[in-house]
Amino acid sequence: MNTTVTQDLSLLYLISSASLPVQLVMGLLLFISFISWWFIFRKLFVIRRAIKQCDEFEEIFWRGADLNTLYQRAANARHSTGSMERIFEAGFREFAKHQSDADISAVMDGTRRAMRATYQREMDKLESHLSFLATVGSVSPYIGLFGTVWGIMNSFRSLANVTQATISHVAPGIAEALIATAMGLFAAIPAVIAYNRYASDVDQLATRFESFMDELSNVLQRRAAE
Amino acid sequence: MSAMVLRNSSYDEPGYFLAGVLAILIHVFFVAFMVFGLDWKTQPPEGMIVDLWSDLPQQAEPSPPIPQKMEPSKPTPTPTPRPIQAEPLPPRIKPSSPPPPTKPEIAREAETEKLKPVKEELPIQEVKKEREKEREKEKEREKEREKEKEKEREKEREKVEAERLQREQALQQKREQEALTQQREARQAAAQARMANEVDKYKAMILAKIRSRIIMPPDLPGNPTVEYRVTLLPGGDILEVSLRKSSGFAVFDSAVERAIFLSKPLPLPPDPALFSQFRNLSITVHYRE
Repeated sequence: MNTTVTQDLSLLYLISSASLPVQLVMGLLLFISFISWWFIFRKLFVIRRAIKQCDEFEEIFWRGADLNTLYQRAANARHSTGSMERIFEAGFREFAKHQSDADISAVMDGTRRAMRATYQREMDKLESHLSFLATVGSVSPYIGLFGTVWGIMNSFRSLANVTQATISHVAPGIAEALIATAMGLFAAIPAVIAYNRYASDVDQLATRFESFMDELSNVLQRRAAE
Repeated sequence: MSAMVLRNSSYDEPGYFLAGVLAILIHVFFVAFMVFGLDWKTQPPEGMIVDLWSDLPQQAEPSPPIPQKMEPSKPTPTPTPRPIQAEPLPPRIKPSSPPPPTKPEIAREAETEKLKPVKEELPIQEVKKEREKEREKEKEREKEREKEKEKEREKEREKVEAERLQREQALQQKREQEALTQQREARQAAAQARMANEVDKYKAMILAKIRSRIIMPPDLPGNPTVEYRVTLLPGGDILEVSLRKSSGFAVFDSAVERAIFLSKPLPLPPDPALFSQFRNLSITVHYRE
């Protein structure tokens, strides 16, 4: 009686007394959770910087700066340029190379292709690891559930040997098994939230890039026609 | 193309390691919160122990004061007789010391008081001396006896007082306990009365609800009475309605039965403990109130 009343149910005790599969599941979940939080912060910094750079470049571009100086600036500071600036740089380089050609539509096609290629690459970079967050968000609850089911199975199997079953026989086993579910949810919830947030942010950026590409090709076409 | 690849590889991600540090910090905080923030240990209810022992200390407390009172009173009588005993003793020994041969006899006399002086025929002087001594001794003995008696009397008085105290305390305790039991009984009675009140109230409500749903058949002679037995479910649902005593008019009986079913969620007290009183209801409806 006394032992059940004052039973020490600390978290560490529960984890250390769990069965090996449950412990493995817990370890896996902890690792997944760590990686997903790492990506969450990395993507946070990356996307925030991308939005900031995009804002800055759009402001400079639409203030009516000279395209040549803009290109020079973008080409010189390659390592610190944003995605939109890089799209502009690729398109303008292609346009400048074939500016003297007679066929304007062929020049514009090449420019658009070059911009689209850079756009795809930039989008790829922005969207990288987002699928991982989505996977963590959808899968880690199941992993945690697996650990919980396994732990509860074991605790009920050990109950089979007891003639008089009380809740105190099963309770610690279930508690330690439920920790696995808690860890799965701890990994999943931030991952899902971050995925949704970042996906919408990247979508917004993609529309901005696309509209910028269209506008830039218009500007370049006008410039070629002059 | 090579320039592109070079640029891509040198694409420096902001906060690459900062993100890792932040992730570690979040996990450390979470684990620390789980381990130290939550109270995982179950604590036995200690308040119960205090309640259980509330009566005993009162009984235990009165007993210590009695010995405390006895102790200070005891030393007062004991020191007083001792000095008196010690004072008369030296004179008794001093007069007996001049005649050395008689000394053992006197010692013997102290043991056997009256027999020796009669049996032993000694010179008159000695006899007189002995008689005087005996008288002195007897006086001393009487004094001692009186002292002892006084002591005993004091002891008895103390005893009586202690007994009286104990009796008073016992009486007080009895009175307190009686008061407690009376209070408890009063409380129980009040609770029962309240419950009975509640039960009556809800029974009246049930009857009123059923009455309001009855479509009375017109023009029945006299005041027919019908009695139904209604079995209820928790929540006020009706499980079964059975006719116990017909009124003699099938129209009235069926009207009442319909009304009982119509007033389906019957009003029940919110306290589930009272439901047992409503499980089997007997409902009596008079044609005229």
